[in-house]
Amino acid sequence: MFRPRRTIRPTRDGWWMLFAAVGLGVAAINTGNNLLYLLCSMLLALVLVSGILSEQTMRGLQLEGLRPEEMFAGRPAVVGASVVNAKRWLTSYSVVLEMLDPGPPSSFHVPTLAAGARRLVTWEHVPPSRGRHRLSGVRVVTRFPFGLFSKVSRVQLDDEVLVFPAVRPIGPHPLGRAGEAEGATARRRGRSHEMHSLREYRQGDDERLIHWRSTARAQALTVREMEAETTRDVCIRLVGSGGADPEKLERGLSDAASLAVHFLRAGAAVELAGPGVCVPGGRGREHERRVLTALALYRSGGAEDRPRPPGPSREVRVEIG
Amino acid sequence: MADARPLAVAVPGASLPVPLRVATHLLVATGLVALHLADLVGPVALAGTLGLVAAAWWTTDAAARLGARRAVGGTLVVIAGAVALVDLLWLAGTALDGFVHLLVLLILARLCALRAPRDVRVVSYLSFFMLVAASASALGVAFLFVVVAFVLLGTWVLLFQQVVTEVERGRHRAVVGSESPMAQSRGLMALGLAAALASLVAAAALFFVIPRVGQAALPLRMRVAPLVTGFTDRVELGAYGQVEADATVIMRVHIASTTGDPRFIPDLRWRGIVLDHFDGQAWTVGPGRRVALRQSAPGEFRLGAARGTGAVIVQEVYLEPLGTDVLFAAPRVLRLDLHTDRIAVDDMDSLSVVASAARLHYTVVSEVGGARRETPAGGDRLNPADRVRFLQLPGRPGRIRDLAQEVTAGSRGPRDAALRLSDHLSREYQYTLNLGRSTTEDPLEEFLFVRRAGNCEYFAAALAVMLRSLGIPARVVGGFQRGDWNEYGRYFMVRLRDAHAWVEAHVEGAGWITLDPTPRALADAGRSPLSHYLDALRLRWYRYVINWSLRDQIETALTIRQHAVAWKPWMAGAGPWSVPRPSLVLLGAVAAGAVLTAATWWGRRWLPAANRPERVPRFYARALAALARRGLRPAPAETAREFCHRVRRDAPGAGAALGRITAVYERCRFAGRPPAPAETAELDACLRILIRP
Repeated sequence: MFRPRRTIRPTRDGWWMLFAAVGLGVAAINTGNNLLYLLCSMLLALVLVSGILSEQTMRGLQLEGLRPEEMFAGRPAVVGASVVNAKRWLTSYSVVLEMLDPGPPSSFHVPTLAAGARRLVTWEHVPPSRGRHRLSGVRVVTRFPFGLFSKVSRVQLDDEVLVFPAVRPIGPHPLGRAGEAEGATARRRGRSHEMHSLREYRQGDDERLIHWRSTARAQALTVREMEAETTRDVCIRLVGSGGADPEKLERGLSDAASLAVHFLRAGAAVELAGPGVCVPGGRGREHERRVLTALALYRSGGAEDRPRPPGPSREVRVEIG
Repeated sequence: MADARPLAVAVPGASLPVPLRVATHLLVATGLVALHLADLVGPVALAGTLGLVAAAWWTTDAAARLGARRAVGGTLVVIAGAVALVDLLWLAGTALDGFVHLLVLLILARLCALRAPRDVRVVSYLSFFMLVAASASALGVAFLFVVVAFVLLGTWVLLFQQVVTEVERGRHRAVVGSESPMAQSRGLMALGLAAALASLVAAAALFFVIPRVGQAALPLRMRVAPLVTGFTDRVELGAYGQVEADATVIMRVHIASTTGDPRFIPDLRWRGIVLDHFDGQAWTVGPGRRVALRQSAPGEFRLGAARGTGAVIVQEVYLEPLGTDVLFAAPRVLRLDLHTDRIAVDDMDSLSVVASAARLHYTVVSEVGGARRETPAGGDRLNPADRVRFLQLPGRPGRIRDLAQEVTAGSRGPRDAALRLSDHLSREYQYTLNLGRSTTEDPLEEFLFVRRAGNCEYFAAALAVMLRSLGIPARVVGGFQRGDWNEYGRYFMVRLRDAHAWVEAHVEGAGWITLDPTPRALADAGRSPLSHYLDALRLRWYRYVINWSLRDQIETALTIRQHAVAWKPWMAGAGPWSVPRPSLVLLGAVAAGAVLTAATWWGRRWLPAANRPERVPRFYARALAALARRGLRPAPAETAREFCHRVRRDAPGAGAALGRITAVYERCRFAGRPPAPAETAELDACLRILIRP
């Protein structure tokens, strides 16, 4: 079971109380007045009870992260956390989830969380660039019960995520750009205007393709699969070293990612090649992830790729500077 | 995280709840009562201030309107500050009084504008300082009730103000869930009560444990209201009259050690001041020897050795401020334990300390004699100077000596004569508190020959003068009768009306003997069980709170250690009821196991279904563990079926087995139908596939 380490810091009121307790203690020692000892004990008892109750509030609170499968640079993604009170009997009061964001502070207040209850909090996260990023994390804070101390859990959910390059819409005739001759439509799933079949909705599908009549009949989201527009597979080749102009590199990688997504979702097999990168051709969602991962982790200055003999696929060249 | 903002919708916070405002007002009232107990606020002022506290309930809105105008608010603050300064410098009796007035002013001002949780917090802290101010002189047991009430209210107020504060902060941030803690007031109320009780228990424990390292020898100096006359070194005839109708408990004597029931110790009384000089109107202490005695051990004074003439008793005395430096104890004192550097002892065995305005707690070891008998103070024979001193009389005794000779005619010696005189007075004269003079004669002659009634001072003075007129050395002793027996605390409650005077006469061969000629029955008023119970509580308060000292802490620690040592042989199996050690351990383990099982069963049984933890069936947990070893783990938001699909894709060999296991798991988890016995073997086979691919 996950038991985060907790730190405790007095609040401003807490400092005043500690100061008063010390002052009373000194006065009690100086005068020998047992009633001052009694009042000093009262303050210390409040501190003690405060510690016990805040520990009781924090104990058994579990955070479970909620991250999207794919995150693209510059595109808002919804991330979240689910806080669960795993205690058997006791309610947790006044729990605050603080996001350790370098930007403006933001937090969620959970007034009460009954035993066994769960609350889901979500927020938007816009990754600034592709590559590996570490999320800022979340910590649980409570000033319960008396506001004298702030008990803070260890930072959680600060996992590493992979951010793909930004994917933009491709123009209406991308195949023209690739030098593909338009014409004969293969009997494959793709993005043409002809329907190929119906299937169950999957994450990432275009909502415009939902077939509402079938959805109502099957009581499950159903989407249309369109026939592919292309008959030939594509090799996306990154051209250049990518070290001269970082902006051009990022723009080129974004273009490559956009093309790869477009062709893959159109049903074509896509191969990625370039300096220091080589993803053999393939189709489907998993292959799309492989290509995007390679582009997300691409670093300029890789070994020059070897020209290969022309194959059946057409080559799309993308300048990365 | 470049841009993170909550998606949840903020909800408006709550206003200051009525229960919180009520509790805050009560907290202030409690502090004011504490000030009253310390005589820092008189009864009229208390009533007025409590009225203002109640009125402040309705002034919140008006104060808010006034406060909105900065000029008005600033003017009020300046006026209040000026009044407080004038009060502090010129009007208040002491600086403490001035600060208390300022404190009350501040609290009332803040109470009138009680609108935000922060105001509640400030008022709570200021109320606590009222308790601190009161602690200087509120030593009565009522302060205990005030402290308890304050802890209960204060804990509750702090808890709720914190909850309200968080709700107020919630106006500026996302709030998850619609349940405000204030909506769950029952649960929070119970928690507040539990927190208050826990605070009380913890405060009590800390109070007794914190080491008393203060060096104050007589820590309980207090401002004493009117002191009691009658126990100074000059006692007018009839001076006890004003106190002999007063039922105030002035002394409590706990007999810590004796051979029998303390109630049956004969002629038990508490000896105090001894007077040897009479001028016809008053008894005074003559120029005798008075020496300072230093402690023989820390806090211990040795005054004599036991002679085997009577029972030795240990008395624990709690003496209220009497306005005298005299220490009271059963005669003859052998040892005195008192936290002071030195005491004074005169040649008549009268004990005194320096601080007359302090409440005293001391322990005395005495050897009490038989009836009407005291052991000699300075040997059987008096030296000539002392003999002259104890035979001193103002002028010629005249009629009084004639009366004494008439009463003692035919007596067999001084002792017999003394007893006859004492019996004569107690038989022929009456006790009264009506001491009005009707003639211009000498007060003693008026008592003996005209009024024939008086209080104990008249009886004692008459006997002493009659004895002296016959050549028998005598002196008057001031002290207390033994008082009422408190059955709850098992101690004697000595009231002011128990103040008493008697006579000590010196008889050669017997020393100083005690004679009490006053025909006065023990007072029997004020014996209601409730008053005795409250007084026992008061004694415990003095004993275990007001007078709790480092010595008590050490003694308690030693007692605990002695008990632990006493238990050690038993625990080791050497006691009379020895249990073999392995058996003991086994027994303990079985008992603990039974308790644990019962608690678990009970907890599960009564756990609400919604809150019951979701348990993963064992077979599915084993399957997940086997797949985890192969690097396949379910994602946080992945369902069992989605995970199964992923495993089919990534590890085709395990897909079918996991599919079967997942189907049984889903049925078990969601339909509540556990696997049938026939399915168990099938599940085992599937698990084997997952474990050994």
